[in-house]
Amino acid sequence: MNQADISHLVSRLKIQVNPRLRKFRNPEGPLGRLKKLRKTVTALFKHERIELNYPRAEEARMYAERLISDAIRYGDCHKTTMETADFWIEEKQLIHKLFKVLVPRYEHSQTSYTRMYRAPRPYPGPMHKKAVLELRGNPYPPLLPDFVSNRNLIHNVLLDEAKKEYRSQKYAEIAAKIESAEKGALQIENTASEKSSIEQNASVSEQKP
Amino acid sequence: MALSQIIKQPTMKLLEEKFLALSIQSCSAIQSRNKQVAPQPRLRNPTWLTKKNRVIHDDFLTADNAQFVQEVIKDRYDVPPKVELPKNTVEWTPKLKRTGVIARKIGELPLWLKTGKKISTTLLQVLDNHVIKYFTPEEYDPPRKRPTRIKNKAGCLLLGAEATDPTYLTKEYCMLFKNSGVIPKKHLARFFISPDAALPPGTPITAQHFSVGNYVDVRGLTKYRGFQGVMKRHGFKGMPASHGVTKTHRRGGNIGGGGEKGRVWPGTKMPGHMGNRYRFAKGLKIWRINTKLNVLWVSGIAVPGATNSLVYIYDTNLPRRKPSNPLAFPTYFGLGDAVAEEDIYEESLHRFSDPTIVFQKE
Amino acid sequence: MLVSTIRHFKAVNYHARILRTFSSQIKGQSSRSDTSKSLSELRNVYVEFLPDPTVEFRNPIREKLERLDMLARRGQIDIPEFYVGSILAVTASDPHSLGKTNRFVGICIKREGCGLRAKFILRNVIDHQGVEVLYEMYDPALQKVEVLRLEKRLDDKLLYLRDALPEYSTFDPDMEIEVLPEGSRVPVNPLKVILKPKPWLERWERQNLRGVQEFEISERDKRRADKVATPWLKYDLMKNYMNTIPEEEQNEIFSEIHEQLQQLELTRKKLKRKRSFVKPFKLG
Repeated sequence: MNQADISHLVSRLKIQVNPRLRKFRNPEGPLGRLKKLRKTVTALFKHERIELNYPRAEEARMYAERLISDAIRYGDCHKTTMETADFWIEEKQLIHKLFKVLVPRYEHSQTSYTRMYRAPRPYPGPMHKKAVLELRGNPYPPLLPDFVSNRNLIHNVLLDEAKKEYRSQKYAEIAAKIESAEKGALQIENTASEKSSIEQNASVSEQKP
Repeated sequence: MALSQIIKQPTMKLLEEKFLALSIQSCSAIQSRNKQVAPQPRLRNPTWLTKKNRVIHDDFLTADNAQFVQEVIKDRYDVPPKVELPKNTVEWTPKLKRTGVIARKIGELPLWLKTGKKISTTLLQVLDNHVIKYFTPEEYDPPRKRPTRIKNKAGCLLLGAEATDPTYLTKEYCMLFKNSGVIPKKHLARFFISPDAALPPGTPITAQHFSVGNYVDVRGLTKYRGFQGVMKRHGFKGMPASHGVTKTHRRGGNIGGGGEKGRVWPGTKMPGHMGNRYRFAKGLKIWRINTKLNVLWVSGIAVPGATNSLVYIYDTNLPRRKPSNPLAFPTYFGLGDAVAEEDIYEESLHRFSDPTIVFQKE
Repeated sequence: MLVSTIRHFKAVNYHARILRTFSSQIKGQSSRSDTSKSLSELRNVYVEFLPDPTVEFRNPIREKLERLDMLARRGQIDIPEFYVGSILAVTASDPHSLGKTNRFVGICIKREGCGLRAKFILRNVIDHQGVEVLYEMYDPALQKVEVLRLEKRLDDKLLYLRDALPEYSTFDPDMEIEVLPEGSRVPVNPLKVILKPKPWLERWERQNLRGVQEFEISERDKRRADKVATPWLKYDLMKNYMNTIPEEEQNEIFSEIHEQLQQLELTRKKLKRKRSFVKPFKLG
């Protein structure tokens, strides 16, 4: 089978990669596909949050992630990276944004650099799936409300109570086990000491005559 | 009594006769109209084919509570279920049918024989199989009863493989695993077995269920290739590329004669959907077994399905490739004190840790 | 007179032997194989330990088992570091003449495949006839792989040697091992090959070859080459990503087998020393 290409090293992407790239059929061929996608990538870097059709968003997301990860990895003094950035970003002032704003923002990030949501589609209207693509750490208010820290939801309250009960029962069982084990150990020790004392006595009695 | 008192007895008898005649007539009429005595059996799914995955929605659980749920699951399923070994085990005979296993096709690798010949093999990883339930022949209800068929003599063993997080599953599906004490599994499969080969629920089945040198049949779902032409689907030759051939380079050509047989005969090979069907690869030899990772090396690269897809492995039913030595029956329990080797090789196979092959005169 | 000449001959022979053993000892000491190789070096030397990057074919368990088998085989045979453009001598047991071996010297023109399927092609011109042999690296019939000259060329594949003048792929079968000084990098041979006139086996003008002297092509061929050229392929970041293994994964793989590889290299060093020692014999 094929050998891995090691001439150009890359970092692992933090998003799931679709192994079958979409064709986006185009009179210009594969180059036309890239040109189409780079419009989206440029828009993403410019506006930081965009709404668009789902397939295009998923595809452009992978390329945007790769561009940022290469920029973080090689920096702006690397010729190949600069050329790639020049190809992918149509508005050239955004190249500065990539290397001077986005790279410091994501340098120590443990998660992906972008987020994608499924957007509702207008009804009645076209049946295309829609998506919202955004850069993490953008200045806009978040799209989803934060309920995760809400302890007052009914199932959280119930689970809290269940947790208390379950844990108290569990710890009681563990404590009982430890106690019984200690008792057992004591008993064994006692019996052992008795045995040894008996043996000693026996040996003493043997020695006596 | 009151009725009979009111109506005179002869008239009563007359009435009764009349009713009887009517009823018999009507009965006989129905019977003659509907010749079939037993109604057509209704298609029913096996009991374990329930809805598996629940609808996932945001529960907004706090991190503490989510952790607590996982803790409960861990406490419950961390201890493997205690299984009593079957008591009256029988020696294996060629007529007995053992259970198969659920496995995963994980790739293809070459191996070399001691003669220097290179063979290609497929690697099948036996997943964490556990017995979920056994249905005796009387108890097991086939999904569609066929009245004409001979009475079913095989029992049915339900196996599960690949433990998963039960919070993603429906309650109904999780209840299937309740009596076996096994953590809910992603995949279920039934295997028809001789009643002597029955296993208690919770029994684990490993790669050592099979032994090196024996043959197996492997069943899997072939890759879906969509609507394909005749050349790809049936291996037709097509037509010449040049010499005046127009528009028929990859077509099948003639599909039948004329005259009395002037129609398309059933079963004629034509373009259509290809793949996405369960197929068997039969009589594959087991060359090597890794007991630590539960992997079988099986001959050939024609095991149906893509890499990382599920396959089902059975003892072969090809009469000439039946094993000569007794098999581990009903399955391998690992009871002996001897620890199995990590890698078990077929005799004629070259081990990679053996010295270089030198071809000697015999 | 005769006796004295024989004695003289023996003495010369003896000196030659001593010299040879001495030089081989020096070779053993100054072998380039540094025992503690960094991960970046490992990935160049042991490329075939990286799995096939095609996503559909990948499975961590299969890859692990494959690596174990490869290490087991490498414990039996010393497969040294070599690249496309290096000159190798491969000794293999011959299935057609039982009990005997077959040694072939040639330039490596291609390395392909990964894992147990890794292969390489050697090319040489013997009796004015170009000969190529494809060897599988983990074939248990291989007895010995020697690197006679360790170097790289300007291209990743040297298949164009088939259409080049025969002197570029002619090598002496009795070639001596050329030793590189310790710690030196693998030299890149900047040789530019002269191709024979057309007809060729492949359309070399379309392949951006660096190791070939400029050749004349017709206007029509040039136009056609420009038409099918894909200069934008280097910008398709995802395609490039799927042709390689990410560095984190490479590091995981090599840190897993690092120790065993080091052990193998140590044993190789010891064996070299052992082989270089020849018991002195009495002068007649």
